[in-house]
Amino acid sequence: MRQYLNFFIALIAIQRDLYAAEAGMPQLDPKYWASQAFWLILVFTVLYFSISKFYLPKIKNNLDDRENRIKDDIEDANKSKELSENKLKEYEKILEDAKKEVIKIQIESKTKLDKDIQEKKEKIEKEIEKELIQAQKEITELKKNSISDIHNISKEIASNIIENISGDKLNESSIKAAVEEISKKNVGKYL
Amino acid sequence: MAGNPMQQFSVHKIGPEINIGGIDLSFTNASLFMVISAAIILIFLFVGTKEKKIVPGKVQLVAEMFYTFVAKMISDTAGSKAKPYFPFIFSLFMFVLFCNMVGMLPYSFTVTSHIIVTLIMALFIFIAVTIIGFAKHGFKYLSIFVPSGVPAVLLPLITVIEIISYLSRPVSLSVRLFANMMAGHTMLKVFGGFVISLGLLGGWLPLSFSVALTGLEILVAFLQAYVFAILTCIYLNDALNLHH
Repeated sequence: MRQYLNFFIALIAIQRDLYAAEAGMPQLDPKYWASQAFWLILVFTVLYFSISKFYLPKIKNNLDDRENRIKDDIEDANKSKELSENKLKEYEKILEDAKKEVIKIQIESKTKLDKDIQEKKEKIEKEIEKELIQAQKEITELKKNSISDIHNISKEIASNIIENISGDKLNESSIKAAVEEISKKNVGKYL
Repeated sequence: MAGNPMQQFSVHKIGPEINIGGIDLSFTNASLFMVISAAIILIFLFVGTKEKKIVPGKVQLVAEMFYTFVAKMISDTAGSKAKPYFPFIFSLFMFVLFCNMVGMLPYSFTVTSHIIVTLIMALFIFIAVTIIGFAKHGFKYLSIFVPSGVPAVLLPLITVIEIISYLSRPVSLSVRLFANMMAGHTMLKVFGGFVISLGLLGGWLPLSFSVALTGLEILVAFLQAYVFAILTCIYLNDALNLHH
């Protein structure tokens, strides 16, 4: 590449011999070497000191600030995350406790209810039994009364029938005896 | 005048002659463009650090990118011991880069296309690195010329080669930058001249070449600044961390 280039330069230098005198490299002319060296050192020194004393610390500060800020932000975010996770756990625990409580209340109320029902049932049964006994008693009484009633009615009916048929009035005691005899035979069938 | 591709490198005096102790230290176009480049760097850094924003603006972002770029380059090549030299390498990189880039503007002057400029920078780096090496390691620093693990027979030869390579560092460092800049600008000028001489009919081909070369030269301008800075870092690494 460089050979190619040198060839080009040479070609042009030959072609334009007008400039042949100037065709050399101005870089190799020592006339302004001292000036260039002087100005280079001066400019570079100024540049170096202003960069190193002023601008680099500024950039470094800014970069550090940003890094610290990012670090802090990440830390904050992590803290917030932890906090929210704890809160979530707390919330879940509360929820679970509430569920347990609900189950407990359910069981409690159920047993209470069962007990209540049982008690009421027993009470009612007792009352029913009592009433049953009462009713039975009444029935037996009624039975007893009804038998004597039947005897009287039968006696009356029998004396009436006999009176109507025969026109005679029979002895009451004999009719009573007859009725009692028959009723003794038959009353067991109905009562 | 426009036909001579070397014309762009000529130095001429601006303003009055400054003569100190018989040495001509006049302000020249080269000095002017050094000042311009340095001024651009300082203005750029001033704007870039004016506002300390957590979310950086455009200029601030670029300034910080330069900072982290150079900082990473130094820590990668020379390690943490080279941290005190960070301002110097940063200034050097910025100065070379901006001189190269300013030189890419038409009608401007490329400061780094002059061997004397690059040689002074390279010599300064060479001498400074050598002083740092001796200051840190004393005479042990000479062991840099004696690589470990070399057969005894080859050792004298290798040592001589090492010494030559060490001494040629300023030359290679300065000539690399100077030659690259000069070659690129000469080539641009040559193709620019062809555009004129071939006229409207044939000038399109060299013109397209010129456009492509301009892109290439901008890349070279950055690359050479980077190479200059990274080689400085490598030399510094040799001086700071003996037998790496």
